Formats: sequence, C-alpha cells, structure tokens
Amino acid sequence: MLTISSEEIKLITKYIYEISGIYLDESKKYLLETRLNSIAEEQGCLSYLDFLKKAKADATKAIERKIIDAISTNETLFFRDTGPFQLLQHKIFPELIDARASKISSLKTSLKVWSAASSTGQELYSVAIVLQELLGDLSKYTIKLLGTDISDAAIAQASSGKYNKFEIERGLAREKLTRYFTMSGQMWKVNDQIRSMANFRKLNLMLPFTGLGKFDIVLCRNVAIYFTLEDRKKLFNKIADVLEPDGYLIIGSTESLTGICPRFIPKRHLRSIFYQLK
Amino acid sequence: MTILVADDDPVIRKLFKKRISDEGYEVTVAADGAEAARLLDAIPFDVVITDLVMPGEIGGIELLKIAKEKSADIEVIVITAHSSVDTAVDAMKKGAVDYLEKPVNFDELFLRLEKISEVKALMKNAGDLREAMDVTESSAAQTIQNLEIINSNLLMQLERLEEILSDSHQDEFSRIEQALQFLESR
Repeated sequence: MLTISSEEIKLITKYIYEISGIYLDESKKYLLETRLNSIAEEQGCLSYLDFLKKAKADATKAIERKIIDAISTNETLFFRDTGPFQLLQHKIFPELIDARASKISSLKTSLKVWSAASSTGQELYSVAIVLQELLGDLSKYTIKLLGTDISDAAIAQASSGKYNKFEIERGLAREKLTRYFTMSGQMWKVNDQIRSMANFRKLNLMLPFTGLGKFDIVLCRNVAIYFTLEDRKKLFNKIADVLEPDGYLIIGSTESLTGICPRFIPKRHLRSIFYQLK
Repeated sequence: MTILVADDDPVIRKLFKKRISDEGYEVTVAADGAEAARLLDAIPFDVVITDLVMPGEIGGIELLKIAKEKSADIEVIVITAHSSVDTAVDAMKKGAVDYLEKPVNFDELFLRLEKISEVKALMKNAGDLREAMDVTESSAAQTIQNLEIINSNLLMQLERLEEILSDSHQDEFSRIEQALQFLESR
C-alpha cells in the first residue's frame, strides 16, 4: 500500500476540491489512502505525487472520474429516513397537485422533482414509488423526476435500476420490494413503470445549473455537508434560483440552512422540516 | 447458525445430520420439499441445503423460491448430480448462494458455511452500526430542526422590530411604544 505524505495530502485534497467541490481536510489521510490506493496502484504509480501528475495529465479524464467515484460517499438507501417521504406523501404532493391542477381538465398536471445528489438512485425511485402509490393512474400527469450526481459510477447504477440484496433490503418494505422490483439473477431490478419516471445524469453541483429549468421540489440531502461553508451558500442560492416560487426544498434531517441561505424559510410538518422561498 | 437439510435419501439425510451437528451447527432434516416448506414456515432458519431433485410437487428450485420469499436473508445451497450442473447454475441465478456436486465433500460444505456465517456476522455488525447511527441521527435531527425553527422565528421578529423602529412616518416615542407592544404580544 502506498503511503501519503503530508505534502501530498495538501495537493490531493486541493485537486479533489477542484474537480468535485468535496472538501477534505488534512485529517482525512486514512480515507484518502483507503479510497485511492487501488486506483493509484492500478495506474502503476509509485507515489501519490506521481498519481496526481498522471490524473492531471490524462486528457480523457478517466482517472479523474475514477477518483470522484472513489471519493464520493454513496451512502443511501430506499426511503432513507422516513420523514421526508411521509412529508412528500401527506403534505407536499397533495398541496402541489392542488396548486398545479389545471382548470382545463384535458391538460395534464405537471410536476418536476430534482434529487440533486441522487447517488445510486434509491432516493429518486423512492419518490417515484410514493407518487405511484399516491396518484395511481399516472396518465393524467406529466411527471419529471431528475436525479443528478457527480459520480459516473453512481449515475450508471441509478440508470440501470439494479440493486443487490444488501442495497435493496435496507429501508424497503417486503411488500414494496415485490410490487416494484423483479429479481434478475442475484440483483433486483426496478420495474419499467417506476424506472421510466426517472432520469439520471451527471452534474457537478459546483458548476452553474444551466438548462435545468425550474423545479417544484428539490431534494438536496446529505451532500452539502461535504462542501465548505462558502460553497454551501452558493449551492443553496443556486437552488433557490431553480425552485418555483411556491416550490419545496428538502435537505438532510441533520442539516441546517441557518447562516447559509436567507432566501429560504423553514416550515415544520409533523416531525419534518421543509423549506420554501420567502 | 441454524440449518435445514432437505433430501429424500434417508442415508444421506442421516449423514448430513451427523456431520453438520458434529461441526457445531444446529441442524434439522426434512424428507422432501413439502416437509421442508412446512418447517420453514414454523421455524426461522439461516441456511437451507437442498437436493435439487426430490419427489413431490416441491423440488429444490421450488424450495429455493419458498425460502427466498420467506426471507431474503435465508441462504440456500443446492446439491446437484454432476450431470445437472446447468440446473445448479440456474438455481444460483434464482438466488441460491452456492451449489455442491454429489457426492458432497463435507470439508467443502463447511468452508461455505463458514463464509456464510462470516457474512452474516458482518451484516449483523453493519446493522447494529446503522441502528446506532439512526438513533444518533434522529435525535440530532430533532435538536437541529427545533433550533432551525426557533432561529427562523427570532430572525423574523427581529426584522419586524427593525421595520417598526425605522418607520420614519412615526415619531420615536410611538415607534418605541409599538415595538414594546410587539414584544409583549409575541
């Protein structure tokens, strides 16, 4: 195993910050070593300095992508923390559908939801399942669910809709599993109906949100915690820009926007909090 | 770890029972698929070892399905004749963790059981950690969310006070009076 010098830690954390916005301080030596060692060795590098040079020189950005896949934390599960999903089911979706319902019955009600750090897709598919159960016949609605993540590997898995038994069992009730997933080999695959509601694509939250359009609901849970305070401010400000005036923002249950974005006001519903624009 | 063995051959059954319990596992045997299914319904098992070919309506593949429906945590090892390895591969596609060829090499079986036991221990450990994390997370979430609401209300009250106190249409005295009224009413 390659060991990382304190000088190399500085350079590598700076590089990771530049390519992903993920801020790691110098205490993260162990994390860097365990997550980057195999890529560095695979590249035949003899030191992390050598590895960094190689990554920067790689015009295909293949090494950069591997580093992002390795360093981004893809901890997620279906219906992670039940609060936000109950909030969506009992409060936000009913309110939005009322507000968006067209007076002309032939026009479809449209809903746009964005999972800003969708990781391997569990959050967005959970939203799709909530919508399916709440609305039943989806043909009367135009529903666009967008999932974005910085990791190519995470986006690829989200798009495949396939999960192994460890990923699937956590958080997902048996009855939902059998209704919305089909076993294919050792993997569980999300059914086409649910799969077709969601789209996934790569996005670095540090970059401008051009071409995303506006959303009725933005979920940005447990990702800003990896960013610096300054970057969090920029991120939530950009989210405020892409949220409909009466739209809803949901952040992680242990996150706070205090001192981060004064454009949002927190509102409580049962045991959960959501945010709306002032 | 509790193990259920389903095999229609009484000699093999006896052999399995002895060797597996000698190894320190709790083992129950069933003479066919139907009996195994009944046992699965009544008792929780960690591992099912089943012959692929058994008489009656419930063969090895059907038993595999029943076990997996009962709980995805139940690991199933199928036993197959050398000539029907294809069926064993098919069983693995349907969720079996492994297959063993006849005649069963018990050392090989014990190695697989050890691996399964290790994975189950790791899973339990991960589950415990997750549980601990969930408890911490939800208690932290309640604290943070309460503070978030309190803070937001205070900020709004401050803004209102600022608004009242800087209202140039009124003299200072009535601004202060109004501010005091606002503070009393909150």
